[in-house]
Amino acid sequence: MLENFSFRTIGEYLPLFGQGLVTTVWLSVISFAGALLVGILLCAMNLQRSRALRVPAKAYIDVVRATPLLVQLYFLYFGLPRLGIILPELVVGVLALSLNSGAYVAEIIRAGILSIPRGQVEASVASGMSYLQRMRLVILPQAFKVTIPPLLGQAIVMVKDSALLSLISVAELTRAGQLLASDRFMPAEGFITVAAFYLMLYYCLKGLAVLSGRWLGLGPARSRA
Amino acid sequence: MARCSCELPSGRFSVVIEFQGVNKWFGSLHVLNDITLSVQPREVVVVCGPSGSGKSTLIRCINGLEQIQKGDLVVDEKRVGDPATNMTLLRTEIGFVFQSFNLYPHKTALENITLAPIHVRKTPRAQAEKDGRELLAKVGLGDKFNAYPSQLSGGQQQRVAIARCLAMRPKIMLFDEPTSALDPEMISEVLDVMVAVAEEGMTMMVVTHEMGFARRVAQRVVFMDQGSIVESGAPEEFFSNPKTERSKAFLGKILRH
Ligand SMILES: Nc1ncnc2c1ncn2[C@@H]1O[C@H](COP(=O)(O)OP(=O)(O)OP(=O)(O)O)[C@@H](O)[C@H]1O
Ligand SMILES: [Mg+2]
Repeated sequence: MLENFSFRTIGEYLPLFGQGLVTTVWLSVISFAGALLVGILLCAMNLQRSRALRVPAKAYIDVVRATPLLVQLYFLYFGLPRLGIILPELVVGVLALSLNSGAYVAEIIRAGILSIPRGQVEASVASGMSYLQRMRLVILPQAFKVTIPPLLGQAIVMVKDSALLSLISVAELTRAGQLLASDRFMPAEGFITVAAFYLMLYYCLKGLAVLSGRWLGLGPARSRA
Repeated sequence: MARCSCELPSGRFSVVIEFQGVNKWFGSLHVLNDITLSVQPREVVVVCGPSGSGKSTLIRCINGLEQIQKGDLVVDEKRVGDPATNMTLLRTEIGFVFQSFNLYPHKTALENITLAPIHVRKTPRAQAEKDGRELLAKVGLGDKFNAYPSQLSGGQQQRVAIARCLAMRPKIMLFDEPTSALDPEMISEVLDVMVAVAEEGMTMMVVTHEMGFARRVAQRVVFMDQGSIVESGAPEEFFSNPKTERSKAFLGKILRH
């Protein structure tokens, strides 16, 4: 089998894979920034006392977690034009990834905030801090530490999920593999190359997770002279 | 140092904390049952009683960590729970020391102390840090300003927590079993700081079973059981001559160990 494996063709398609990789990276970066925004908003709503804010946030999170990303993607891709909203494929893709990952990010941030012991809230309340001061000075800095590793985990999931955008013909990494597969009838070459690039992205993010974990783990013991 | 409440001027300003028929329920559990109690300026009141009798709840109502459901609670001339009362502002006048210290783990000892003065009182940072170092020296931790809570012993953490409250220059200090999470050898270093605070004339309510402390600085011991104040009197009198069966049984238990 390997004697038929054409490294030359892969070489020929390398510029296309390169473009796909670049697209995957930057659309992931934008989508993840969007997911953070959506997640913070949902989490803020979810932590309020008012039911009018909590219930929609919870419902949104449930719907996103209960339905496949592909269904959500098609829903936006075919549904938005029906509402008269015509957007480029790439924008629809980024929107879908942000809205989808945002639900998971919201739960990660909420778990981080809830992991802060009750006593921290009470101590800051007792000292006369306002809600915003408490969040900014006491709760979020501590929650930040515990949310970084799971957030990077979610980023890894989202990078892989971005492969689905190939189905709405966004020219990202998987799409490059598809082109090689269909133009030259070389699916093995196409998708093994794609897999290798995803593996590379995975190791980059994992390295970041390890580094941040090590850095944050040192946290309180570091002297800040 | 003996102090006498009879030196205080009489009239409505001679009371800093006043409970009038205060009731509170957790669901169907009646945790505070018709509490009436007043604390005068510079007075030190020790609250004791069996576990679950409502001691923590009693002092947590004073700064609004818990809400009362019936009766009147007036602190520093402001009605607690009244929509017209700015609770956030009132809390700046009340220091609260927790059993579990609750220092901010991501802040150094000095930062723990200066955080509220800088952000709540709007004290300039340099001034807050100067005051903070003085307070740390006062609680015997002058060299620990750069240490994180995880690097301090329980006794040291509790002393930082007391300094953190004092940094706000409160009118009242509340303590909820400040020494019960400590190893025995660290209890006295914390009690000594509390005695010093009391001797400077701070108004204090202290939930504790440390009778030595009560004897040294308290004017009054309040004994609670099942949400009610069962007995109240001078420490010497209460410890040597308890009047109710319940307080006798309670003192018998804490004296035995
Ligand atoms: N948030 C809460 N919700 C429900 N019940 C509570 C709550 N906090 C306290 N209780 C109950 O109220 C009662 C009084 O509690 P409280 O903590 O005031 O007692 P305590 O005298 O401080 O006891 P301990 O010596 O154990 O600290 C207890 O029965 C307790 O279980
Ligand atoms: Mg208690």
